[in-house]
Amino acid sequence: MASPTAELSHLPKTDGSANFAYGGYTITAAVNGPVEAQRRDENPFEALVDVNVRPAAGVGGTGERQLEAILQPALRHLIPVRNFPRCVIQVTLQVMETPENAYVNPKVMQPRLNLGIIPALLHAAILGLLTAAVPMKTVASATCLVITDADGSSVKVDPTPAEIDQARSVHVLGFTAGRDLLLAESEGSFSADEWATVLQTAEKVCCRSQEAGGDAEMGGYGAESENVQQFMRSVLEAKAAEGLHWR
Amino acid sequence: MPREAEPSLSERTFTLQAISEGLRLDSRKLDQFRPLELSFGDEYGVADVKLGKTRVLAKVSAEVTVPFSDRPFDGIFQITSELGPMVAPSFEVNRPTETEILLARLLEKTIRRSGALDTESLCLIAGQKCWSVRVDLHILSADGNLIDSSCLAVVAALRHFRRPDTSIEGETLTIYTAAEREPVPLSWLHSPFCTTFDFFGEDGEIVLVDTTWLEEQLRVGSVTFSLNKHGEICQISKLGGKPVEATLIIQCAQMALAKSKEFTDLVDARLAEDAKRRDKGGLMAELSAENER
Amino acid sequence: MPLDTSTYSLALLRIDGRRWNDLRRLHAQIHTQDAADGSSYLEMGHTKVMCVVTGPAEPQAGQKKGTVGSAQATGQKEGASIVVNVVVAGFSSVDRKRRGRNDRRIQEMEITIQKALAANLHTHLFPHSTITVSLHVLSQDGSLLAALINATTLAVIDAGIPMTDYITACTAGSTSSYAAGDDAADPLLDLNTQEEQELPYLTVGTLGDSDKVAVLVCESRVQVSRLEGMLVVGVDGCKQVRRLLDGIVKQKGRKMIKEGAVRRSDMMAVSLDD
Repeated sequence: MASPTAELSHLPKTDGSANFAYGGYTITAAVNGPVEAQRRDENPFEALVDVNVRPAAGVGGTGERQLEAILQPALRHLIPVRNFPRCVIQVTLQVMETPENAYVNPKVMQPRLNLGIIPALLHAAILGLLTAAVPMKTVASATCLVITDADGSSVKVDPTPAEIDQARSVHVLGFTAGRDLLLAESEGSFSADEWATVLQTAEKVCCRSQEAGGDAEMGGYGAESENVQQFMRSVLEAKAAEGLHWR
Repeated sequence: MPREAEPSLSERTFTLQAISEGLRLDSRKLDQFRPLELSFGDEYGVADVKLGKTRVLAKVSAEVTVPFSDRPFDGIFQITSELGPMVAPSFEVNRPTETEILLARLLEKTIRRSGALDTESLCLIAGQKCWSVRVDLHILSADGNLIDSSCLAVVAALRHFRRPDTSIEGETLTIYTAAEREPVPLSWLHSPFCTTFDFFGEDGEIVLVDTTWLEEQLRVGSVTFSLNKHGEICQISKLGGKPVEATLIIQCAQMALAKSKEFTDLVDARLAEDAKRRDKGGLMAELSAENER
Repeated sequence: MPLDTSTYSLALLRIDGRRWNDLRRLHAQIHTQDAADGSSYLEMGHTKVMCVVTGPAEPQAGQKKGTVGSAQATGQKEGASIVVNVVVAGFSSVDRKRRGRNDRRIQEMEITIQKALAANLHTHLFPHSTITVSLHVLSQDGSLLAALINATTLAVIDAGIPMTDYITACTAGSTSSYAAGDDAADPLLDLNTQEEQELPYLTVGTLGDSDKVAVLVCESRVQVSRLEGMLVVGVDGCKQVRRLLDGIVKQKGRKMIKEGAVRRSDMMAVSLDD
């Protein structure tokens, strides 16, 4: 699979913006904030994190609302919300492209939840928050995994849409840089043991950078997936170096 | 949500004074567009237009549905555009602003009502099955002249789009996936393009094209022409604003025609480039199910 | 659907017997509602509209800022804001089609009238106030936007709001459809519904007796070379409409003086007898 690509601060009118593309998904995130919240939804003790997911085609439906509901608490835990009372931090995530499955004709309205898109949305949102200079406690990364029965119950990282369709269960797990589990969503049937394997694999995939020479250890399942946390760090470093070029 | 800051008094005076002397802040001529970039995505039917800091993305999608009962021989074609908080925090979700209403109406009149897309060709089985083509216009960043760039993006995306091929044998309708048969383009009749002219000065005698957000706030009136390269007007809208001389409007129409031809050439060139990029080794011609007509 | 207008070329008479440059009967009344600050009733053929103007008045608490049709971000902060509402009655046209409040076509007309007024009323004289224009369409037979603009002008005059000049509007069409390339096509003035469905047309609104175009709306496909002819006829029609409206206003003024509603001033230039 191609390595991730990102473009930072490409929208001039927003406080922070990022374009993140990986595994066929392209997401543009725009972040505004912290700005004054409206009277009706202000919280006197903490900032409101307003996540808005907009599909590439069609108007947002229940599927998008559920994605928002999954991402919102995750982002809230990364931002020190108590530092910005009566404020709102607006995160708009625009889906630009989704991977195509040449064997199925696309449907405009997809009422079901698409778990595979969550990692891309989360990464785009975090890059957006970082470019908007919203203080953050830590960064995080997520990955999507499937358990397939095709070759004797194996775990596969970064599945294609066709693989998701055929999988027995789909899992999305996110970890912070401090190796804490941030979000976990699963779909399908699986045993507790299988979930433990998934958890272990996902942790390795997400937090690989901490271990020196992690690549050798990864061997089988994670080799094809990129380390996103390291990637985010490198693009931000490049952006910062570019910004300080005049010095 | 916070309101968009209005231009300050000194900004206003400076910009207007400069315009009256024939100067613009970005050192363009009064009748000069910003550099226009048009690119297509990996998918069919995605067009990305950048005009200075304005950026819009149009995405076309199609699916099979039941036609409206009052128009059994027509397919469904709709264009949706929504300005969200991505443009500016002052835009709220699900509350259309004046800009949004006018943009939607203009695209509807220019592209849908002028019959640019042959909706009858979208009909599969009369009264039962038809294609529903929808264009979603995503405005990523707005720095003036949203109308012209949006219109260009929608037209380019529709011309770039390929819908799945179908066949009817007796009563059975087969829709082929992209892997089975090469998707086919829409039946496209003509390409209208919008050009907006903005009026400045005491009597609206100074004409600017492709205004930035700041200039747009200071204009006294504007007129939008939609024309295709054959010189057919699809729509004109001068919705209020300062009255301007009728002769000036006729002049603008001629300029709009020249501009529309320029846009046609640009879109044609980009589409040809994209087709070349996709057509690796002339494979497409072999795979195409379409006959030479 | 399309009716046969090919007979036009034979007798040079339109479906309703008019020549190419004839206006339909324009009948208007001013000050029709006593309770309102300004009101008018206008008929252009079978298109009948009513207009009520309230204000300039203090903005009501219920009126949200930034609603559609209000003057926003147009540098109107220090002047009065203008709110226009158009209500199309269900019985106004042949097909009783319900049009919701969120019909984009009607919203566009509201914005057009609002913007045309904003540029021509002296709103800076009434800071922090609102002028509300309510328009009701009772019957539709073509030239709807034009009729709405004319009715608004009359009602605003009745309300006594200072303005630069009359804004008058009418429609102009062309007898040739876009497909035919004949140059012999005649322009037409003041179209009715049947003609609007069949022929390309535009609505033009001008300021006073000048050639200055305040509103220009065209929604049909037409060759660009035909624009000039249509525009000239339209602008000329607007001048005719202005003369008619001016007559109505003066007639009403005379009547008011005769009735003693307004004291006759020595300064008055108009002779009451003509």
